[in-house]
Amino acid sequence: MVLKVFRWSPGSRERLQKYWVKARQGMTVLDALVELQRNSDATLAFRYACRVGMCGSCAMVVNGRERWACRTLLSNLARGPVTVRPLYQFPLIRDLVVDMAPIKNKMLEMKAVFVPGRRAMDGDGFAQIGSRTRERRAIDAAIECIGCGMCVSACTMVSHDPNFPGPAALNRVFTLQRDSRDGAHADRSQAVLAEDVLTRCHGQANCTAVCPMEISPTDSILALRRRAVLRLFGIGPR
Amino acid sequence: MSARRAEPFRGRKMLTRRMGSGEAWRDTKVGMWAWLLQRVAAIGLVAVIAAHLKNPFARPVQAALLALVLFHGLLGVRTILLDFGLPARWHRLLFLLALLVGVAAFAAFWRWRWY
Ligand code: SF4
Ligand code: FES
Repeated sequence: MVLKVFRWSPGSRERLQKYWVKARQGMTVLDALVELQRNSDATLAFRYACRVGMCGSCAMVVNGRERWACRTLLSNLARGPVTVRPLYQFPLIRDLVVDMAPIKNKMLEMKAVFVPGRRAMDGDGFAQIGSRTRERRAIDAAIECIGCGMCVSACTMVSHDPNFPGPAALNRVFTLQRDSRDGAHADRSQAVLAEDVLTRCHGQANCTAVCPMEISPTDSILALRRRAVLRLFGIGPR
Repeated sequence: MSARRAEPFRGRKMLTRRMGSGEAWRDTKVGMWAWLLQRVAAIGLVAVIAAHLKNPFARPVQAALLALVLFHGLLGVRTILLDFGLPARWHRLLFLLALLVGVAAFAAFWRWRWY
């Protein structure tokens, strides 16, 4: 099987380098990259940690779609050459490795950081929200975000507007705005009401289509938007 | 807050999906098509409305107008439903419904010939 891998390092020109790998049964894209790095090209740079689809560090664009390399079987891809690129919308470090800092920056910009509020503590210490409560179920899926950045890479609006915080940050805002222990709802809703934030999402759901944790950032953003609209009419929580 | 926020990564190399490449479209999802087609229909509408004002009785222009209005409008209804809280996993179904209802409504209106 032919792999066309994106190569670039500071000071050099970008190119797609062709490699040949013998696709064994059950071989993933990550397996293939590791094999190439070990046997034929030690300069090839990529990132991974858990190798079993948990951490998200192996996120890359394989055949035009964001996927985690460690869970993508070569046998499930089209037979033609398989192209492997780094995530879009993240500054490149080298080859397939990108700088994830923009996710953190956008989260800070949107104040997507937990701030203990009045209800944060109860008699037994840190207040707990039961797993079966309505409050918890509303955000149950959304809190599973592993910060892999695939949604940001897939979003056409992120590439269109550098001020748009993108799906990952807004999904996080959504989980915090629904957390009754948090004390910064007002600040945060001020932040998301800024220009180029909630209004920028066109609901294309590219983020939702690629999210490996099956989160729907689209739903999170639309929920935030409904909340903001209700707020404009003076009804509903912040 | 209209001032553009600081962009600390300016100047660093970054890849962007190139919409001119086949690869970018190979895995395009329904929601994206719905959005794109609705906008294309909007641009089409501007041209067709102009033609319609010039000659309201030209049958082909009427047909195009009806088709584009239905298409654009129904895709809009789909967006509104999603905005109101229908889960995004209904994207595909709503898109299909918008297309089917559009075709059915077109056929019905066209056979009716109200004038
Ligand atoms: S929402 Fe999904 S795709 Fe986006 S960063 Fe979190 S886990 Fe990754
Ligand atoms: S290496 Fe952890 S998800 Fe792939």
